[in-house]
Amino acid sequence: MHHAVMDRLSMQSTFLHHLDARTKLIVAMIFTVFVISLPQTSISFLLVCASGPFAMLAFSRVPLKLASLQILCLSPFVAVFALSMIFYDTTPVKPAFGPLEFRATAGVLRCIVILVKFAITMTTLIVLSATTRFSDILAALTWLRLPRILVMQIALLHRYIFIIIDRTCNVLRARRGRKFRNLGIKYELKTAAGMLGNIAAFSTDTACRVSMAMAARGFTGSIEPLIKPKFAGNDLLFAVCFAIYIAVLFVIKGIV
Amino acid sequence: MHMPNELLSVPVAAGCFAVAAAGVGLVCKAAEKNISQEKIPLMGILGAFIFAAQMVNFPLPFPPGASGHLTGAVFLAIVLGPAAAAVVMTSVVIVQCLIFQDGGLLALGGNIINLAIIPAFVGCAVYRFIAPKPGEKARLYIAAMIASAIAMVAAAAMLSIETGLSGVLAVPFSHFLAAICGIHLVIGIIEGVITAALLVYLRKMRPDVIDGYGQAHPGSKRMFFATAIAAVLITAACLSLLASDKPDGLEYTIGADGETIIENPSPAAASADNLHDKLAPMPDYSRPGMADNDKVSNGWTSFAAVTGSIITMLAVWACSRLIRRKEPSQCTTQ
Repeated sequence: MHHAVMDRLSMQSTFLHHLDARTKLIVAMIFTVFVISLPQTSISFLLVCASGPFAMLAFSRVPLKLASLQILCLSPFVAVFALSMIFYDTTPVKPAFGPLEFRATAGVLRCIVILVKFAITMTTLIVLSATTRFSDILAALTWLRLPRILVMQIALLHRYIFIIIDRTCNVLRARRGRKFRNLGIKYELKTAAGMLGNIAAFSTDTACRVSMAMAARGFTGSIEPLIKPKFAGNDLLFAVCFAIYIAVLFVIKGIV
Repeated sequence: MHMPNELLSVPVAAGCFAVAAAGVGLVCKAAEKNISQEKIPLMGILGAFIFAAQMVNFPLPFPPGASGHLTGAVFLAIVLGPAAAAVVMTSVVIVQCLIFQDGGLLALGGNIINLAIIPAFVGCAVYRFIAPKPGEKARLYIAAMIASAIAMVAAAAMLSIETGLSGVLAVPFSHFLAAICGIHLVIGIIEGVITAALLVYLRKMRPDVIDGYGQAHPGSKRMFFATAIAAVLITAACLSLLASDKPDGLEYTIGADGETIIENPSPAAASADNLHDKLAPMPDYSRPGMADNDKVSNGWTSFAAVTGSIITMLAVWACSRLIRRKEPSQCTTQ
């Protein structure tokens, strides 16, 4: 997957893309808190909760394959944590699904719950980032009163990530083209240090050029976001729909 | 080491958010004071460099197939100073969470504490404490390695504490702490080697990039001790909350199954015990006169741990003052 793919997805035009970044950020946060605070045993209810982010994923035209790959790439740490539950909690339990009954341990159930919760919250985050332009996120962060220097830092970081990563990809390609086997830790370390040093020197040179260019354009130490975030009717409608969805989930939780 | 949402409970995540917000506010204020306008683009681009540097892997001798890469907090702290490094790492963690979905939204506060604030300050304090003079390559390697290892282990310990407080562990806390700290000690040493190699390369090829940074300076020792004291206090307060209310190994051995293994009928021992009970300001880590079932309250255990740490540090400081040799004065009187 190319590193700029999420950036390209956020440039689309759907109902979700036109919403205010603050509305999406707050909704994502409330939904994450709701999912995480669910008990460790309610797998069936978690699957009901997954319907919301899945619908948003479909509406926002994010390819399902890309979202699944993204979740799989990020899951090793969670997978290790979840799998450890199987070995430490061996209390026997007998879960039932309709007419089917299974024999399992509480650890297995907890492991599945953790993985499902991870998938749901990650899907929420994927929808948020794939439907929100970075400039809108910056405007929302400014509205959230984040320190000026931090917002500026995030803006510059995002602006140059792709340039430096492209440069690094070139350096890595050059190493691959010249190296056909493992050369031993000492030589590998020396090569890696050389490559990193080269990229660090390139980064500082770029920083010098950018600094001069910014000074020439009258940079006074602060960047004002051009976009002023604005709540609209669509945001209100989305917030009301989300509130109804959460209320329905609470009702289902009582039944399940 | 990015924590997903599942490792934290909602109250602990909220607490981490509050602490991270306060920490980020303070480091931003410090960075604005210390960093000139021209350095702002450098901070942004070095943040992007950290992203890119994480792509440069190199194979490790063990375990087979494993590879390492630079994490960057200690390198940034050496090059930019701890406050600016913490700001850069905070921005990296926020972008990783919001754009690349690395680390949960709910765990963002915890991740900022573990990956930005702790490594930047602990790493910088340790590095500056043993900072090499120009040309001392071996000492530079040792300083970078120790700083990276300690910073990594400190961050891993904080992660374990946050997870332990959340109550999501099925594994005993001590096992989890040992496993996480052990793994991160190895990662920290590898991080240290690559950080040192990078510093040596830059010092040789582009000394202007790191010129004037990474050297010991007048505030280094003060900063080291301030960081060490803060680390001790936080660890004591947090770990005491996880302390077991069961008897410790010795107490358990003595009182197992109501069978007394050691018996000392001497009246001297009994009167010493009575005197100790009367004089001890916080018997059994609680307020004097507390009922037995109230004794192990988390608040009092934390208070006892922090007070104990402060008293111990004051005692050590007083002892060191007493045993320190008086240096002859460098001033001459005319």
